[in-house]
Amino acid sequence: MRGVIPALVVPVWRTLPWRTLGAAGAVGLLAVGLPRLSGAHPDPWTALALLRSAALAFALGLAFLLDDPARHTTTPVPTGRAARTALRVALVAPVAALWWTAVLLLAPGAHRPPTGAVTLEAGATCALALAAATVAVHRTDAPRPGRPAATALLATALLAPLVVSDRWVLFVDPRDPRWATAHEHWAWLLAGAVTVGCLTLGEPLGRFRPTADRPT
Amino acid sequence: MTALATETRRTTAPAAPGNPRAAVLALALFEARRLLLRLPVLLALAGYAAWIVWRTLQPWDDYPVLQDADRATQGGPLFVGLAALLGANHAVLRSRRRDTERHLGVLVLSQGHRTAAHALSVVPLALLTAAGVAAQFTWEAFKPGAVGTGSAAELVVGPLTVLLFGVLGVLLGRLAPSAVAAPLLVVVFFLLFVGAAFPFAGEESGAAWFAPVVSAAGTHPFPSGLLGRPAGWHALYLAGLALTAALLAVLLSGARTRTVQAALAAALTLTVLGGVVQTSGVPAATTAARQRASVTPEKDQRCVRRGTADYCAFPEWTPRVGDWARVVRRVQALAGGTAHGRRLLVRQRVEARYGLDGDAALAPSTTPYQVTVGTAWGGNRIPEFSTAVAAVLVAGDEKAAGELCDGRMVTVMWLSLAWQSDPEARLRNVRLDDSLTGSAVVLAPTEPLTMTAGQTEVVRTLLDRPSYGVAARVKAHWTELTSPQVTTARAAEILGVHAKVGADRCAE
Repeated sequence: MRGVIPALVVPVWRTLPWRTLGAAGAVGLLAVGLPRLSGAHPDPWTALALLRSAALAFALGLAFLLDDPARHTTTPVPTGRAARTALRVALVAPVAALWWTAVLLLAPGAHRPPTGAVTLEAGATCALALAAATVAVHRTDAPRPGRPAATALLATALLAPLVVSDRWVLFVDPRDPRWATAHEHWAWLLAGAVTVGCLTLGEPLGRFRPTADRPT
Repeated sequence: MTALATETRRTTAPAAPGNPRAAVLALALFEARRLLLRLPVLLALAGYAAWIVWRTLQPWDDYPVLQDADRATQGGPLFVGLAALLGANHAVLRSRRRDTERHLGVLVLSQGHRTAAHALSVVPLALLTAAGVAAQFTWEAFKPGAVGTGSAAELVVGPLTVLLFGVLGVLLGRLAPSAVAAPLLVVVFFLLFVGAAFPFAGEESGAAWFAPVVSAAGTHPFPSGLLGRPAGWHALYLAGLALTAALLAVLLSGARTRTVQAALAAALTLTVLGGVVQTSGVPAATTAARQRASVTPEKDQRCVRRGTADYCAFPEWTPRVGDWARVVRRVQALAGGTAHGRRLLVRQRVEARYGLDGDAALAPSTTPYQVTVGTAWGGNRIPEFSTAVAAVLVAGDEKAAGELCDGRMVTVMWLSLAWQSDPEARLRNVRLDDSLTGSAVVLAPTEPLTMTAGQTEVVRTLLDRPSYGVAARVKAHWTELTSPQVTTARAAEILGVHAKVGADRCAE
């Protein structure tokens, strides 16, 4: 197993959905960069909204990370899906970190919200996207579960500010006294997403029979 | 469902080869049904319906001004539009995702026709939104307190936005056939049009009109003649943009016929025409009318007599005179001396010189016994007007009322609140910081008044007592209570309140 992983790095790297991630990353960079280029000085609330949108855009790209057109043929290989999914995430993580650093540097310095807290929000959003993708892989036979995962993430992200009750604050202004409480909630979300992602990492063996109902 | 299937069969059967119109229609109906049943669209429609009901049932919306209520229908359909974008894009990419493009390629319907059917499939969702808009506006118009007139051009913006976003989803499917494109576009649109990150958002004229929804919701409704919104041109711009996007998608799908090209050119012309005219700014005539209505409202107003007062209002607001008269009658009934039968002039005023989203306060009037009433009504506006009436009865005019800093303030606030149901809650409503103790600023239609901590305590004690007893004392000592020499401590003594009241000192 130990020898297999290094051998897998290059092929897995090549199968990652780079164009999707690139498009998502570009939209995120443009969302933060365009106001800066145009010389506008967004107020703190808009600056935070821009950063959150950038994080959401990249997370939407990440929802497609586990798309694998060859899924039905890679099911029985000895290196399990858990290892391959973990490898995908590990390969994309440095790229995501680099991208996020660029976004933070692009955000206007004077009105940039606290970096650590916004990074926590972005991390939780990306973790939710990946958890949605692993759940989609786990629950369906589809080789490309990215689209429903992305739609679910998008719907959640757009509806959450309207639906989440005031007692469990998530989307607050940096000047709000509940900023710290909200970020405890974001940390809980991150932990929950990571837990769900880890639990659903493996191949859904036993239930997964893509050819069971087809005549041979 | 069965009826639809039968209908489909009936319309497709007589289609002659080479005339795919019926087939396009049948495909459009099929896709429309699928679009309406997609989960994001169903969620958005449910949310839209809930939003309409929640918004229209709010107590502050009991007295809608219809030239503002028409604009208020535009925000909700944005969510339906975003769902339409996702759904339509999903439908366009279906044949690619399922790898059935090769099979569909051998059929009579070309890709261009199929694209046209996808674009048409958004129309029923737009019609459903139109029904929502119609329901919301009709509900507002039938409220007993509704005044003013709505505009059809403002009402069609919601459905046109849904149509435009859906068609953009189709176009996006042809331009960038990737599953991530539509969600990313939704994020961008959400940020721009819902999150107000549109560079010109919040401006009244100019490039702000390139956005689908330009709400510019001010705090004070304007008479419809002063709005100066290019609503008709904007509707033309949106319709032209939707047509352009649809025809461009058809063109990109390979249907490069002369008809499509000519139609695209026509749609583009409409879009450019609407787009250019709508950004030309507020017309000079409107600016002049705003100036006149703000400075010399009497030139535009109509006056009616009710009881002891004359009411001068912009013609659209005359149905509201009865509501104002009720407040004036109740306040005057509690007053004593000459104020009891004093002839008042209630004049409606609006500050329109700073545009629709300006929230400049009205200057207090110096004309004796003239009370200002704004264009909004319902909620806190009622106790605020009541305070203005009481203040003018006690102090003589609004300018003098704003400078009250003695025992007369007790009389003013008691007159203003005693007749209302739950006066303590109303007191909280008219105070800027929603407090019931300490000193505070008291809101009125023009400049605010101030209450000291001692006055607040005396007024609250009076409000706890039966109003007929207090009313008798107020009427008996009216002259002394309304004299500029009366201190709060003296007013408390006259009214029988035993409270430790400090010297009258208003906040600087």
